[in-house]
Amino acid sequence: MLDELCQEIKLKFPASQAVLHNPPENVGSPSIEIEAKSLREVALYLRDDCKYKFSVLQVISGVDYLEYFEVCYMLANFDLARSYEFILKVKVSDRVNPVLDSVADIWPAANWQERECFDMLGIEFKGHPDLRRILCPEDWQGFPLRKDYVAAKYYNGMQVYPDHKMNLEERSFIINSKSKQEELQKQSLAKGL
Amino acid sequence: MTHDKHEGKHDHDHDDHDKHDDHHHEEVAEVEDYPKDAKEESLKSELLTLNMGPQHPATHGVLRIEIKTDSEIVSEAKPYIGYLHRCMEKHTESLDYRGIIPFVDRLDYLAAMNMEVGYALTVEKMLGTEVPARATYIRTLVSELQRIASHLVAFGTYALDLGAFTPFLYAFDQREKILRFFEEISGARLLYNYVWIGGVWNDVTDTQLDFLRDFIEDFEKELDEYHTLVTSNSIFRDRTANVAVIDLKTCLAYGATGPVLRGAGHRWDLRKVQPYLNYNELEFDVPVGGDNPEVGGMVGDCLNRYYVRMREMRESLKIIKQLLLKFPSGPIMGKVSKIIKLPKGEIYMRTECPRGELGFHIVSQGGKEPYRIKVKSPCFTHVSILPVVGPGLMIADFVAAVGSIDIVLGEVDR
Repeated sequence: MLDELCQEIKLKFPASQAVLHNPPENVGSPSIEIEAKSLREVALYLRDDCKYKFSVLQVISGVDYLEYFEVCYMLANFDLARSYEFILKVKVSDRVNPVLDSVADIWPAANWQERECFDMLGIEFKGHPDLRRILCPEDWQGFPLRKDYVAAKYYNGMQVYPDHKMNLEERSFIINSKSKQEELQKQSLAKGL
Repeated sequence: MTHDKHEGKHDHDHDDHDKHDDHHHEEVAEVEDYPKDAKEESLKSELLTLNMGPQHPATHGVLRIEIKTDSEIVSEAKPYIGYLHRCMEKHTESLDYRGIIPFVDRLDYLAAMNMEVGYALTVEKMLGTEVPARATYIRTLVSELQRIASHLVAFGTYALDLGAFTPFLYAFDQREKILRFFEEISGARLLYNYVWIGGVWNDVTDTQLDFLRDFIEDFEKELDEYHTLVTSNSIFRDRTANVAVIDLKTCLAYGATGPVLRGAGHRWDLRKVQPYLNYNELEFDVPVGGDNPEVGGMVGDCLNRYYVRMREMRESLKIIKQLLLKFPSGPIMGKVSKIIKLPKGEIYMRTECPRGELGFHIVSQGGKEPYRIKVKSPCFTHVSILPVVGPGLMIADFVAAVGSIDIVLGEVDR
């Protein structure tokens, strides 16, 4: 079904350069990748004109791949007789100033999902009615889900990431070396724990 | 004494006025400076901004809704979330796949078992692990029990929102029994870490299953009592019927799922549409709003959403009964390597939780830690509908609307 859909998108919108990514060895979910500039017209086509009528946008998931961002739109139609779902992917290659067209007027669900994507990854959605941070405070610096994000030590003059509470070595889940494990045990015994 | 003094003063004033009776009208005009040609349109009026939350019993957690009210009518509702944001998605990037399960628990803390099952199934699907039949049965059993427990909280707190205190106690009394069963099998009452990748952590004994059989018998009668106590109560019906209608179109546009979507009359349940676990072997109905004309109200209103939940509890009981009839024996853990490494790629999978569809988008680069996990939370979607539902409702009805959507902020903020 996705082969057919991908061909259709390619025919209707040659600029979209739709590519179908089938998961290797059938492990995982298939996806269709399109160019960012034709996102809106493809989205409108998928919602209204294509025969599957993807009326539901479930979630927008942004992933940071260091060289580029990838924004995944999980689309579905809640049709009882024949339900389909797939992932529509868009690459945003500009890391410094990432901009993407908003689809908030096509699927109202995108309103909050795009806000979260903006909050976490800093992707600006052009044409969004109310692009504000949603989970972090409005004056938060940086975008937490970027891979190069360093947790701030201070927020509004308050220490939020104190070193003595963040001894990651002691808290690491897998302690590889045995001598280190014994050392830690000794330490905790000495503390009377 | 003060009273006397006041009265004395008043009398004195009165005398004064009597003396200068001729000037009385002039004085009033001077003091109040009231425009003589004042009409209703020229008077200055503005909307009253009201903060509902972040600490408010009707918001079911730390949710703040900024309401603009025109007298008693809500004209704008703006939810602010993030008070419970614990950076779960960021944390998962530095944890191994097993270590994530306790974090997943804390998403929807009222339905932790469903969260675990959803996560474990997603990872297993990627790994290609085969889960033993007994483990699958136990998973279905705990998911359905958790669904009942979660709906009981929804039922109890909803009645509490609308001013009835007793149903809350009834609901928690029954929920306690389910929590006791969970405590027996997992050691914890709220956040279990019970469903592991490959199976479940601990086996269920026959005595524990017998305890469940007793519980089911009791609970069926108890459910009837809830309907007598609450559903047929005329005050409750007046407060919920035809209030805060979310129609099917809005539901689909905003991606609502679960009882909200089913309350709007769409028979969409992932357990039926895309069966996972062993739901395809089990017989149960999917209750939707409007399929029982005796309920009354309008399709998609608060009453129908509430009633869908109440009927889902009965369906869950039906499922548990069938499970208990043919509980298979055997191992409870499948073969999983000591260090779990997902193959390179990504997956998006969703399961039906008490509040709607929970989806996990896991991106793996082949390492022992995920590259990215994105959680599709049903409540996040449902809170985003509030600005559409709110306008036009009375403030008290808005409380009823928020309660009928049944949100858990742990899952909204993640």
